[in-house]
Amino acid sequence: MNVIKCTDLTKSYGQQKALDNLSVTIEENKITGLVGRNGAGKTTLLKILAGFWRVSSGEVNVFSRKPFDNLFVSANTMFVDDQMNFPTALTLKEILEQAGRFYDNWDMELAERLFDYFSFRPGQNYSVLSKGKKSTFNMIVGLCSRCRLTIFDEPTTGMDTAVRKDFYRALLKDYLAHPRSIIISSHHVDEVEEVLEDVLLVESGQKFLHMPIEDLKEYAIALNGPSEDVNKWRRDREVLHTKTAGNNTYAVVTNDFEQHELEQINLAGIDMSSVSPGDLCVYLTDRAKGGIDDVFDKA
Amino acid sequence: MSLTKPSLAQTVLKQFWFKLKSLAGMISSLIMLQLIGLLFALGASSNFYTGSDGVFDLQISYYSADLVVVFTMLWGFISAITMKTKAYREDDFVFVTNRLSSNLSNIAYLLAASVIGGVTAILSGYLLKVVIYLLFESTPIIHTGLTDSLVELLSGMLAASLFIFMFAGAGYLVGTLVQLHKAFTYITPVAVIGFILLSDRISDGHLLAEVGEFYFNEASLWLLSVKTLVTAGLLLAGSIGISQRLEVKT
Amino acid sequence: MIHTDGTKPIYIQISEWIENEILNENFKPDEKVHSQYKLADLFNINPATAAKGLTLLSDETILYNKRGLGKFVAHDAKDIITNKRKSQTLKRLIQEIVVEAERLHVEEGELIELVRKTINEHRGAAE
Repeated sequence: MNVIKCTDLTKSYGQQKALDNLSVTIEENKITGLVGRNGAGKTTLLKILAGFWRVSSGEVNVFSRKPFDNLFVSANTMFVDDQMNFPTALTLKEILEQAGRFYDNWDMELAERLFDYFSFRPGQNYSVLSKGKKSTFNMIVGLCSRCRLTIFDEPTTGMDTAVRKDFYRALLKDYLAHPRSIIISSHHVDEVEEVLEDVLLVESGQKFLHMPIEDLKEYAIALNGPSEDVNKWRRDREVLHTKTAGNNTYAVVTNDFEQHELEQINLAGIDMSSVSPGDLCVYLTDRAKGGIDDVFDKA
Repeated sequence: MSLTKPSLAQTVLKQFWFKLKSLAGMISSLIMLQLIGLLFALGASSNFYTGSDGVFDLQISYYSADLVVVFTMLWGFISAITMKTKAYREDDFVFVTNRLSSNLSNIAYLLAASVIGGVTAILSGYLLKVVIYLLFESTPIIHTGLTDSLVELLSGMLAASLFIFMFAGAGYLVGTLVQLHKAFTYITPVAVIGFILLSDRISDGHLLAEVGEFYFNEASLWLLSVKTLVTAGLLLAGSIGISQRLEVKT
Repeated sequence: MIHTDGTKPIYIQISEWIENEILNENFKPDEKVHSQYKLADLFNINPATAAKGLTLLSDETILYNKRGLGKFVAHDAKDIITNKRKSQTLKRLIQEIVVEAERLHVEEGELIELVRKTINEHRGAAE
């Protein structure tokens, strides 16, 4: 069953199109990573899915319903970002209690254990927390609400490395125990990739690619060696990224090599390595613009 | 995990209790405001009559807690605007809600707050008398206006609550207009002052006086209830209508 | 254990880990292997990735399915793994030899003669 189905989804502000004819289907109970550059339309898409923003044209369905201003979608969707507005009059403990009243699947026991683990104090006020602590608290609310659709928009903002690791571990463990549809948008793909099943890459408000992360990891390959040899192999292929230093070339190309070709490349003394999904996403979305080097090379 | 099927009524009720907790600051500001109102009422007593026939000095001072009611109306107006500011408005949307349930629970909260405000405002009249009695010791106090009979007391509270609620409704509409477009922050006061000036110019203030008369000089409690509730209803329905045009949340 | 930054896809690392466990007899024939969820928890990976590793082993008949119960180690799992590793490693080495021979213009007959000589030398050393 699909939890999300978008067809030709467009969201425009005047002439500007934040989402441009985006069509995507997300199946139930998957963890999907939403990846894209700043301004690619990630947050716009997520806020439309959460029912906060209306669409300009096209269609969007969440739980087979139009999400905008929909109470049913709201009750089954958790949206976590770094702009969470918790009432300033409530203490952290009171916020958890209130969240428990609103969400039927809320797990107070888990909430309290996470609360203690991350050393929050019940009487603390949300507004005095540091950025990273706020994100950590948001994460607790997001996980414990156990909504059928849980959306994390840049959830790790301000968290230190240890907490980030704990977060993804907690997310995975709770997902294993209670499978549900989770979407995580992040700039740090490499950090989340292990827990992801699918990746949705958006660029300029359009779907760039949507595939299992394991396929994405085999989508491209990096060749590193003498320019002459590398150029021989990259000739007919789509080159996603290239960097030359002296007589040495590093080229990222789409991985449509046959097994025997890979062996030959290996024997030719060219280093082959995989390309991390994070780098790959950058290369893929960079192609239109060219890299930062182009800005300087023009002069 | 199954999908949750929420009802509008349930959600509004949950949000109402949520607001009772999260908007506790509004009630404490009410108490503050009413105390300030009382202070003003003490100082601003109007002297009815001061006379002396050589044997007796007679001074009649008229103390009234009406000012407290006026202050509370103002509080209702401002509180309703505050509820619609981004910081408070978006508190709703961290948990289950849609625009309608958010508006309905806001209205329910304003109604409850108006009743609290009305009751305390009227009761403050008694507090005023106690204070005056303590301050001026043996001065005899003649009760006038709101007094004595329980029915009168209750109808006083009801009338005050209704007025406060009406003003809250007006504030809610202003807050919603500002949410629609920031320019209403300036347009609204200009329009109100403009209306007052205009009514003064074209009808020598009659128009404004008639509006005041229409609401505040209504002898029948029943008619007063109808007038204020219908007005508040229109203001609030207008607010809901406007917010249906907006995005749910920024 | 699992290198998430390595060249090898994670699901292949998972299947190799299970193979090693079978070779070490930590999983014995007809025993149930870890479920995709257990593996996901163990290696902190998405269960779909773990499932892909398990499917790979099923396809190679190293594991077999019991409907509703999970995946179990095949009787001849150890042999299959050993044979597979033999053929893969040998094949790769031989390929390297052939390509290198081509580069050095070594004729086919000459190459086979070299291999035969090495085998004989090895036998002589062993005896």
